[in-house]
This record gives sequence, structure tokens and C-alpha cells, in this order.
Amino acid sequence: MFATNTSDTAQQILQAVGLGASAVPSKLAALAAVDARYLKDLKINVSNALDAASMEKKEAYLIGLSVAVNEKLAALQGGFEQLALAAGATDKEIAEVISCTSLMNANNVYYRFRHFVEKEFYTTAPAGIRMSIMANPVIGKEFFELVSLVVSALNGCQMCVTSHEEALLKHGTSQQRVADAVRLGAVIKSLGVLF
Amino acid sequence: MKNAVLSVGAQFPEFTKKAVVSIEKGKEFYEISSEEIKASGKWMVMFWWPKDFTFVCPTEIAEFNNHYQDFADRDAILIGASTDSEFVHLAWRNNHDDLRGLKFPMLADTSKSLADELGILEANEKIAYRATFVVDPQGIVRWTSVYDLSVGRNVKEVIRVMDALQTDELCPCNWQKGEATINA
Repeated sequence: MFATNTSDTAQQILQAVGLGASAVPSKLAALAAVDARYLKDLKINVSNALDAASMEKKEAYLIGLSVAVNEKLAALQGGFEQLALAAGATDKEIAEVISCTSLMNANNVYYRFRHFVEKEFYTTAPAGIRMSIMANPVIGKEFFELVSLVVSALNGCQMCVTSHEEALLKHGTSQQRVADAVRLGAVIKSLGVLF
Repeated sequence: MKNAVLSVGAQFPEFTKKAVVSIEKGKEFYEISSEEIKASGKWMVMFWWPKDFTFVCPTEIAEFNNHYQDFADRDAILIGASTDSEFVHLAWRNNHDDLRGLKFPMLADTSKSLADELGILEANEKIAYRATFVVDPQGIVRWTSVYDLSVGRNVKEVIRVMDALQTDELCPCNWQKGEATINA
């Protein structure tokens, strides 16, 4: 009467990230085949992270999108784009999140280098990386910062993480929202490694 | 009058009760026992409502049903209960659009013995308050909530409570400076 059945769990995870109709990726399928307990943890992590009260649905999907772009996962990117559009995002906003993720990939490498080496020349010379999209983002400055923080956390740039976190608090963002966004990034990445 | 609701830390009472598990002919009834639930090694979420065929109940029950999978994902057996008989439960399920597809058993505490032991009987009519119990695999009550007859519940809150009860931060990165280290 009360037996466990997790055969649908992998499919439900995919549904949560907009890939309900897709084939189950092989690593995910391998876990489902042995009824791995971890799949349930993953499903709860994904659905709770996407459902965080401090973020609108659209924002959560756009952050998911930035993770998919950063991790070069085309299928997952498509899923999040569809979900974000359905939640009211515009094509411009989606393009901007993709742009922001790309820009962070430049900044994360360059500023991490500066921080590693800590020599006056590198820290005082201009970075020489154009970032005009930061000036007037269509997703709003606060959310642009939030996406920048999540991507920087994924890419492990300490200086970027600390400065975007500080910038967010100056915007009046709650620490809960910061934590929820970074958790979402972490959890989606954990799903992404199974693609 | 004074009532004592069974609360956190208490052993959930043993019981064997008839329940409605289907609307298919011949498969309607099943006898649920606390023993079988314990043997499954799972958590149990038991939620009570005052009377079948009343208004607030079906919306709330349908909402629990919508989250059936969320409870299953958390290794929890979901059970709905009231002091109505199994035949009343079945009639209600057959009669109401929102209740035909219920995935969880509707337990019939016709003798009111379980509701009485739980301390959730309303004094005048002897019907159950809107009580919710979360019971761990050892049979210990880990959360109790009791709402008055007219107040509906928030099912997401029950799920949040389950997450909090089940999520131990086992990762050593969560150790705070100054805390004792774990010795194996």
C-alpha cells in the first residue's frame, strides 16, 4: 500500500525546468534506473529553489537561464527561455541576461587574476573591458547585479562576489534574496552536471 | 473546558481504521494500521477536517491532493481523516468533482477514538478540529497544528515544515568557527 515509486521523479525534475517533453539525459536516467534516493533530494532542491518567496517566477527563470548559459547547456537554456517568456519576460530581457552572463565570464577571469596577483600595476591599470550594458539595463540595475552575483559565484571570483553582494545591499536588496538567488544558481548547476 | 492536543515529542497513538482509497467498485475500502505505516519506514502527515459535505473542506482537501507528489517526494504518507464513516467518505468522493481523483486515503474515525486520543474533538458536536500532525518514521509527533472549524490551512506551510524537519545540514562546510568538531 505504501511502497515507494520514484520512476517519474526524473521526468518531474525536467518539467520543473521547462523540459517536460524532452528525453531524460543519460546521467539522470542512470540514477532513475537504480531508484537513487538522491533524485528526490534533487527534485525538492530544484522546486524549492525556483519557488523562493523573495524572487518572482520570471526572475527565478532568468537566473536559471544565466546558469544554463554559463554552463553551456543548450537544452536547459531553451527550457528556461520558454519558462521565462511564459512568466512575462521579454526577448530583450532574455538577451540581456545572456549578455550579462557573457560579460561576467570576462570579468570573472580578469578580476580574479587581479585579486590573485595583487600587484599595483594590474590593479591600477584600467581593465579595458567594455561594459556599457551595465549602465542602463532593461532588467533593472538591481536584478542585473543579482544575475552578476550568481554567475560570479558559479565562476569562483571572490572579488566579484564580494563587490556585487555589497552593491546589492546598497540597492536595498535583502540578504534573504541574495541567498535565495545564489542557492538557485548552485542547485541549477547541480542539475546541469547531470545533463 | 480544557483540551490537551497531542503535541511535539509524543508517541502517535496506535490505530486500525477503515479508509476509502478508491471509487472503483470492490476496491473502495482498505484497513490502515499504525503498524503498517511504521513498517514502511516513512513519515506520516495526517490532516483532519470536521465534517464531510461541508464547504471549506473540499478546497482544502483538493489542495492537499495537488501536493500529493510533494509529500511522496519527502517520503511521507499522506492521510486525510474525519469522524465520518467510510460510507459517508465514499458518498462524498463520488458526489464531488474535486474529490473523485483523490490519491490519498480518507480515514474513517467513526468511533472517534483516535480523534479523542489526539485531543482534537470539539466539545459540543464531537467533531474534529482542523488538526494536522507530522509524525516521523519512529512514530513520534514532530509537528502539530490545530485550526478552528472555519479556518482553512496552508498546505505549503506543511511542506515547509517537513523540509525543515528533514533537512539536516550534513555538509562540513556548514560548521561554524568555535563549534566542536564531529568525532567519528
